[in-house]
Amino acid sequence: MKVLVVVPAYREEDCIADVVASILARGYACVVVDDAGGDRTAERAIAAGATVIRLPINLGVGGALRTGWRYAISHGYTVAVQVDGDGQHPVGHIGELIAAMQERDLDMVVGSRFADGGSHDGVSLVRRLCMRLLSAILRRSAHVELSDPTSGFRAIRLPLLEQFAEEFPHHFLGDTYEAELVAGRRGYRLGEIAIPMRSRQGGKPSADIFASARSMVRALVVLITGPSFDIRPRTSEGHR
Amino acid sequence: MSTTVKQALVLAFGGLGLALVILRLARRRLLTTRYAFGWLGVGVLVMLAAAAMPFVGKLGKVANITPTAVLLMISSAVLLAISIQLSISVSLLQERLRSTAEAHALLARKVEELEQRQANP
Repeated sequence: MKVLVVVPAYREEDCIADVVASILARGYACVVVDDAGGDRTAERAIAAGATVIRLPINLGVGGALRTGWRYAISHGYTVAVQVDGDGQHPVGHIGELIAAMQERDLDMVVGSRFADGGSHDGVSLVRRLCMRLLSAILRRSAHVELSDPTSGFRAIRLPLLEQFAEEFPHHFLGDTYEAELVAGRRGYRLGEIAIPMRSRQGGKPSADIFASARSMVRALVVLITGPSFDIRPRTSEGHR
Repeated sequence: MSTTVKQALVLAFGGLGLALVILRLARRRLLTTRYAFGWLGVGVLVMLAAAAMPFVGKLGKVANITPTAVLLMISSAVLLAISIQLSISVSLLQERLRSTAEAHALLARKVEELEQRQANP
């Protein structure tokens, strides 16, 4: 198993160096995808020892992630772990994500703030309700049990990783909720582990009350129109 | 001069004006041939609509609405269709631009890796 940590980063010059350092200190290979934020994110990530891919134009998290997945596939990695560049994700729990993946034979493991043992501190009521609704949709329409569907702390392995390298949505909520919906419907095995999330170490929060409302609208649109992308179904032999 | 004739004249000159503007934009290369042809087609359609004004009047009588309303409905429908077509084109271009940007970033990284390997064999 060859693990690559993919860090999509948009204007994270304040904390990217710490995130990269703590990933490398744990012995993982790390690639930072700089999403053309126009600041010193890339320089600081390189100085901290990361491999950096610079997107020429801003593509959003989905575009940065697909670039990371493609890099992972082309360099022979079998598992990619997504960690945000804002220092919010507990890098020390990457090992648990990977262990859960192996022990429970999962194609994607999501770090959840709301799973057993997870803390609800600092999460607004609106956002929690929003998560519950998204979880309910995932349970009903994809038979996937995820309590924190918009979490960006997760591990993905082959062959799902290869599928996501081909097709991965770039619009809001597409890279998390919709990707999980499509993977679940296509027979991939998804699971979660409880993770304590830290508050943001710097940068600008992208999720707020408007984001919750937006995510609801987006989730309903996906339900009505169907997902915006598709992947090949999981074959019976599972991962390679 | 009856209203129908006035409307026909407005349409004829409007269509001609549109076609001239499009030709000028195409000559200045602000429009690609594909879109220039499309809009010239619209201009020609507007001019043909001028010739079809008596028919529009009849259609209005059958539907019990004024010829002006019939014209507005048809022109709104055409504009809506064009907007949807443009949205489809923009969506496609957005996806292509995204793929190109991703490929560009990955290739730039590959070049860096090759340069590093060459510098420290």
